[in-house]
Amino acid sequence: MPNSEHLSRQYDSELEDIRSRVLQMGGLVESQILAAIECLASGNVELMAQVTDTDRRVNSCEVEIDEACSHVIARRQPAARDLRLIMAVSKIVTDLERTGDEAEKIARMARQIHGRGRLQIPRSADVSQAGQLAVAMLRRVLDAMARLDATEAERIIAEDVTIDDAFRGIVRQLVTYMMEDPRTISTALDIVWIAKAIERIGDHAKNVAEQIIYIVHGTDVRHTTREGHGEPDGAE
Amino acid sequence: MPSAWLSLLIRLLAAVLAGLTSGFILGAVAGVAAAAGLLLLMLLAHTAQLARLQRWLKAPDERDIPDARGVWGSVFVELHRLLRRERKVRARIEAELEVFSQAAEASPDGLVFLDIDDHIVWCNRVAEQHLGLRGERDSGLLVTNLIRLPRFAEFLANAREGESLSYRPAERKGRVFSIEAIRFGKDRKLLISSDVSHIERAETMRRDFVANVSHELRTPLTVISGFIEHMADDPAPDPAEWKQQMAMVDEQAGRMLNLVDDLLTLSRLEDETQMPREEEFDVRDLIYDVSAEGRRLSAGRHSITCEVVPAFLKGSREELRSAFANLVSNAVRYTPAGGRIVLHWAMRDGKGVFSVEDSGIGIPEEHLPRLTERFYRVDRGRSRESGGTGLGLSIVKHILLRHQAALDIGSVAATGSTFSAVFPAWRVKLPMA
Repeated sequence: MPNSEHLSRQYDSELEDIRSRVLQMGGLVESQILAAIECLASGNVELMAQVTDTDRRVNSCEVEIDEACSHVIARRQPAARDLRLIMAVSKIVTDLERTGDEAEKIARMARQIHGRGRLQIPRSADVSQAGQLAVAMLRRVLDAMARLDATEAERIIAEDVTIDDAFRGIVRQLVTYMMEDPRTISTALDIVWIAKAIERIGDHAKNVAEQIIYIVHGTDVRHTTREGHGEPDGAE
Repeated sequence: MPSAWLSLLIRLLAAVLAGLTSGFILGAVAGVAAAAGLLLLMLLAHTAQLARLQRWLKAPDERDIPDARGVWGSVFVELHRLLRRERKVRARIEAELEVFSQAAEASPDGLVFLDIDDHIVWCNRVAEQHLGLRGERDSGLLVTNLIRLPRFAEFLANAREGESLSYRPAERKGRVFSIEAIRFGKDRKLLISSDVSHIERAETMRRDFVANVSHELRTPLTVISGFIEHMADDPAPDPAEWKQQMAMVDEQAGRMLNLVDDLLTLSRLEDETQMPREEEFDVRDLIYDVSAEGRRLSAGRHSITCEVVPAFLKGSREELRSAFANLVSNAVRYTPAGGRIVLHWAMRDGKGVFSVEDSGIGIPEEHLPRLTERFYRVDRGRSRESGGTGLGLSIVKHILLRHQAALDIGSVAATGSTFSAVFPAWRVKLPMA
């Protein structure tokens, strides 16, 4: 859809501004998850404070972007793709904000685990790896949004299964761990929560990917089985 | 006047003349009609050519320039010439541009050109790798949308000279890139990214080294200062206890001395301006020497034997002696009592190979690549109790490097290890048979 349809340059730059603010917010969330995973690995207290701090910024981003969206709707009455962009953005920021919350949850659990002074954390390598997977997924989904690349978005949706599998694997192993030694139960439960948070991050990334397809093709692919979502037209 | 125009004029005059002539013969009306008819025909012909020109201009195609005679022909010829000149100029500019982009492509640093609003205009392949961009496909995108490092947007907005931002892409562990933003032209920006992973790595190694040295020196110092404190508090020491404590202080001081000696040796070995004096010497003598030393260290706990073929080696006897002795003393220290140690000298594919084979505890495979790193220990507690400084193999490696030789380590846990020094053929001379 050529942008020349718009008569006003200002309108264009408003839309671009919204999109870039969403991506900046995504960058914050990305760094937040990375810091949270690092927390788990190292027990670094400063990083935990940083995660909480970033969460505050992420939250204010959500509010600001939502406001900007209503502003554009009220003043410009966007149509077609622009309207889809605005609608999708207001959903994407919710997903990103929740992703940030999950990161905070991971950091909180990490503090709890390290507070117990256990040096050996069961399955922590697996959890870190699943976390890296989730961050990579989020990063790719944000890249796809920057490039409005629906093909990539579809690929990401298909790959969410990997993180779900990793989650189930971790839980299964932790269960045997807890049965063998009941003293590890509280720590193992915290790890289950962390793994769950990571799995949720994957789900949020998948939601964002669905919104990208909606922006590009105008088809709603939520709650559908995976089939062709129209013609791929990543190039933009 | 060019002939085309002349012929056009003649044709016009001819039409008028034909009109006049027919006017004389057939009357005025017929004359005017004939002249008008002829002129109309000419007008139609010219209009047709004009239509061709206009059609061509709509979709100019160099190979398809209309062709005609007369005035139109010369117009089309001019058009042709104009196009050809244009094409030459364009080709030259393109070639120059190509040179520029090749130069930018050849840069070892990543380059990204940005327009006024920070949209990507062009980037070279190095930048694609460094920053995860996709060349052509990403041109026109906001660079901050793709590099979403929280501090990056602010950094780019300021773009102060001499300021750089380090970028650690999470998907590539251990890689660090330094990004600089430079303003040029009218409000345009150039991003320069360079791979600084090796600097980071060197920095980490240096930090580790300092920490290790301090730690290694601290341990004996703590013991010594503990004894000194104890003695200062004890006004009437028991002579037997005193003697025992002195022996321990002496041992710890000896350890520190060894460590400092090893450090000095290493730094001397690293100094490439001072190469050792080289000589040709009998390898067998050296190996017998070293094995005797090994036997002294072992004090009868191991069986130490030599299997050597006669050969001469070119190099610094003193340095190689220290390297070989290091390998032997390692074998003695890491082989339990009753074990077997064999010193080999053999020729393999023309190369001279000195190896020390032991029936010791062996080294798990994952440690092998890092074994020659300074202070690298497979098992911290065990190696210090056996009295090593953690620098022995580093010294061996450096000495061998100075002799263009390689250190080969083969080991099977719980079965034993073989450390081999492989010398290039030109350093080895076989005795005349």
